[in-house]
Amino acid sequence: MTTTPSPDTTSPAEPLSPPPPAGRLAALAPRVTLLRVAGGALAVIGALLPWATFVLNEGPYPEKSTLQFFVAPLAVTGFRLHLVVLGLATIVVSLVPAVPAKGRIVRALGWGIIAIAVLNGAYIAVEGGGVGAITAAGGSVAFGSLVALAGGVLAVLGATAAGLEPVPTWTWRLPTWAEWLLLVVVYILLLLVVAAVLTSGGQGGVVNPYAGAVFLSTLGAVGGALGALHASGLLGWVGVVSERHRVYSVIVLLAVALALPLTGAGTEYWMTVAANIGVYAATAIGLNIVVGLAGLLDLGYVAFLGIGAFVAANLSGAAASQVGIELPFPVVMVISAVIAGIFGAIVGSPTLRVRGDYLAIVTLAFGEIFVRSAQNNIGGLTGGANAIPNIPPVSVLGTSFADPITVGPIQLPSGVLYYVLIVLLVAAVMLVFGNLKNSRLGRAWIAIREDEDAARAMGIRTGPIKILAFLIGAMLAGLAGAFFAHKTAVVAYDSFRFLESVTLLAAVILGGMGTIPGAVLGASILFVLPEKLREFSDYRLLLFGIALILIMRFRPQGLVPDRHRRAELAADAPGAPPPLPATAPVQTAAAGGGS
Amino acid sequence: MGLLESFSTQLTQCFGSTSPPVFVFLQQIINGLVLGSLIGLIALGYTMVYGIIQLINFAHGEVFMVGAYGGLATFTYLLPTFAAREWYIALPLVLLGGALISVLVAVAMERFAYRPLRNAPRLAPLITALGVSVALQEAVRVFYPNATAALPFPNIFVPGSLSFSVGGGDIAIKYSGILLLVVSLVLAIALQIFVDGSRMGRAMRATAQDRDVARLMGINPDRVIVLTFVIGGALAGIGGVLYGGYLNNINIDMGFQTGIFAFTAAVLGGIGSIRGAVIGGLLIGLVKSLGGQCLPGGTAYDYVWIFVVLIVVLVFRPQGFFGETERVRA
Repeated sequence: MTTTPSPDTTSPAEPLSPPPPAGRLAALAPRVTLLRVAGGALAVIGALLPWATFVLNEGPYPEKSTLQFFVAPLAVTGFRLHLVVLGLATIVVSLVPAVPAKGRIVRALGWGIIAIAVLNGAYIAVEGGGVGAITAAGGSVAFGSLVALAGGVLAVLGATAAGLEPVPTWTWRLPTWAEWLLLVVVYILLLLVVAAVLTSGGQGGVVNPYAGAVFLSTLGAVGGALGALHASGLLGWVGVVSERHRVYSVIVLLAVALALPLTGAGTEYWMTVAANIGVYAATAIGLNIVVGLAGLLDLGYVAFLGIGAFVAANLSGAAASQVGIELPFPVVMVISAVIAGIFGAIVGSPTLRVRGDYLAIVTLAFGEIFVRSAQNNIGGLTGGANAIPNIPPVSVLGTSFADPITVGPIQLPSGVLYYVLIVLLVAAVMLVFGNLKNSRLGRAWIAIREDEDAARAMGIRTGPIKILAFLIGAMLAGLAGAFFAHKTAVVAYDSFRFLESVTLLAAVILGGMGTIPGAVLGASILFVLPEKLREFSDYRLLLFGIALILIMRFRPQGLVPDRHRRAELAADAPGAPPPLPATAPVQTAAAGGGS
Repeated sequence: MGLLESFSTQLTQCFGSTSPPVFVFLQQIINGLVLGSLIGLIALGYTMVYGIIQLINFAHGEVFMVGAYGGLATFTYLLPTFAAREWYIALPLVLLGGALISVLVAVAMERFAYRPLRNAPRLAPLITALGVSVALQEAVRVFYPNATAALPFPNIFVPGSLSFSVGGGDIAIKYSGILLLVVSLVLAIALQIFVDGSRMGRAMRATAQDRDVARLMGINPDRVIVLTFVIGGALAGIGGVLYGGYLNNINIDMGFQTGIFAFTAAVLGGIGSIRGAVIGGLLIGLVKSLGGQCLPGGTAYDYVWIFVVLIVVLVFRPQGFFGETERVRA
């Protein structure tokens, strides 16, 4: 798997020299360098000015935002450090003549600056008691956010005024050992960035009301930096390099993922969050087979996760389970997957006669029947409203997975073994997906997705193959379910409602249908955001619904679009350019990774 | 185990030696017909929208829910107390308020969520509809005062119920239930006459058959589609208010479930058929009330039987009772 974002699909297919500027911005064209430098300088100045005239809620946020420049000029941390870095980068990129695609890079940096300024300014204004908090109050002034915002706007204006250059494509080839070294360094940096973003702001909740704002601000800074790297063509180049050493990249990436507990994210809380993300990522990959590859919309998919979880709970030796036997975890996983797969085949069997929207409704009906039955404690197997509590943790050779472990001098938090297990599970699921996608079966699924009648005419036995999609997808969800039951120790019908199915579907769509990184990325976003934005938890579902509408409206192909799928979905979108030939190799890297 | 036990108990309750007297059945049938007429009323919205733009408007159930809250808001905040005292003043005003809100919501969702996706692949509008459904439900929960729990709904019709004794027991129908039944049937008949007889109705049928040819004939499809959403929204809003008055209790979850039932009814009757939607609705109502009485699991499983009916119909007769085979697009 590579984490390379896809090339900017909105980049117009234009000649290599910037097009003549047009419109109202044209007047600014001769002075773009001045504008860009001024923008960067304002961002740095804004970072050093005070941002609020008092300490908010007597808490640590905004970190030293009342800092006076003359008292401690170098004590710049947190979002102000991000601002300084982005601002200096803007100035350097604008002034060094050798940098290509200046406008594009500065635009990304400028948007990052704007995001930081707006997020922190808005937070201070709202939580600190009105606009007074960011302008002037109590005889002192605090307009750091306004200055930084002006800087960001200037940078973006200066970047776009002269027209945007296309993203350059680099074709450097280094010796193999150098490329391997480069990939290791890049992936370790990636790990550090992920850990930093994950832990930024700390654990959300009542005790830490700043978590959401700090997290979003960090996300804005990282987004701006990544956008700039992408605009410079470097990310695309790294993607091509990692594609050249695909097996090596996958191994390094796996090792890096397993090293997450060694970073700042290595606490019990983050291990639990990461394990939950892993469960939903594995399930989303299973759903991706059904929806993304075979094109069969399933609105009751979370039921298979539930079936796997309830099977595992009943075979775990928990006091509340009806079946009084306790089996070793690997056996339980297999049984859960098989039973979920059988149900998958049953739910999939109507596909022989029903298509499209009607199939979506049939799967929804199956999902509702599952939830209702589980709620009513069907056959005494689901515990009903009492759930099945006290499921014992997985243990191997006397080591319980719920305990912290010590390896030599390193103390690892509890839950780390679960994390390792889920990373390996997700990796295995990815491997299954990647190989299936490129197999005869996967091509048959894609053919059915594109045109079922044509596929049948080509000699594909559509019936069994569609049921197979449901069966395999459900088995993957069942595997994840068995893990889920042991990790959370409680399985209740409430975790498998219709909304969870919609969330999983949204994860697949947000990430990009039919791609592996897409499903994982989508699941991560949809399950990290609510964890971080606890103070908005009242609006969580409202925002989720609106986001779903906006995604389908403006980016139906998802964040990591699949090649076929993108061509299919973007064809009707207004203003969508034809795919650039130059982007093809990177697409292969994004779409076909993981095998 | 538990399931088998309840299976046999339930069956003996209906058909065995401990079979209940006839009036229990009659009462259940009446309950089922009242619920069914509501489901039919909402199913009209599904069937018309699907007939014209081939979209399963998941959010239609939420339009019904919003209508109920709109009616409640009208009663609570707009009606002066003297008007609220007399049902013949309150009822039309509350109905108007509920229908108005529902129409606004339905038209807005068509304009801003569905119209931009008119030519997108089939999956996109369906997922958008899911998003609209979640967003509407949450918007009411967050912004309507105290909507996190179920809210009491005022009595907006003659209180009390009509009761008579049959087969050794008493049967009761709430007057508000009779109102719901009558209004639903009258509205359905009026809609049938409108679609069959009026110029605009003809334009709707033409658009449903072939949107491009209809455009060539001088019909503005956009206007027809908006009209469809207006009619569907108004019917759902009226249904929401009447249902609130019947149960005296509304909550934000009522839309999703009733919406799925209504969709089942629309499919059962045949998508695109007005008669079919009403008859399908009545049948679904009967399945729910009699299934809760007679089938294994009792009322805890009555929803399950509706979903079973839905699956069986979609698999074995997706064109429904009155649908035309070539109309089925799925």
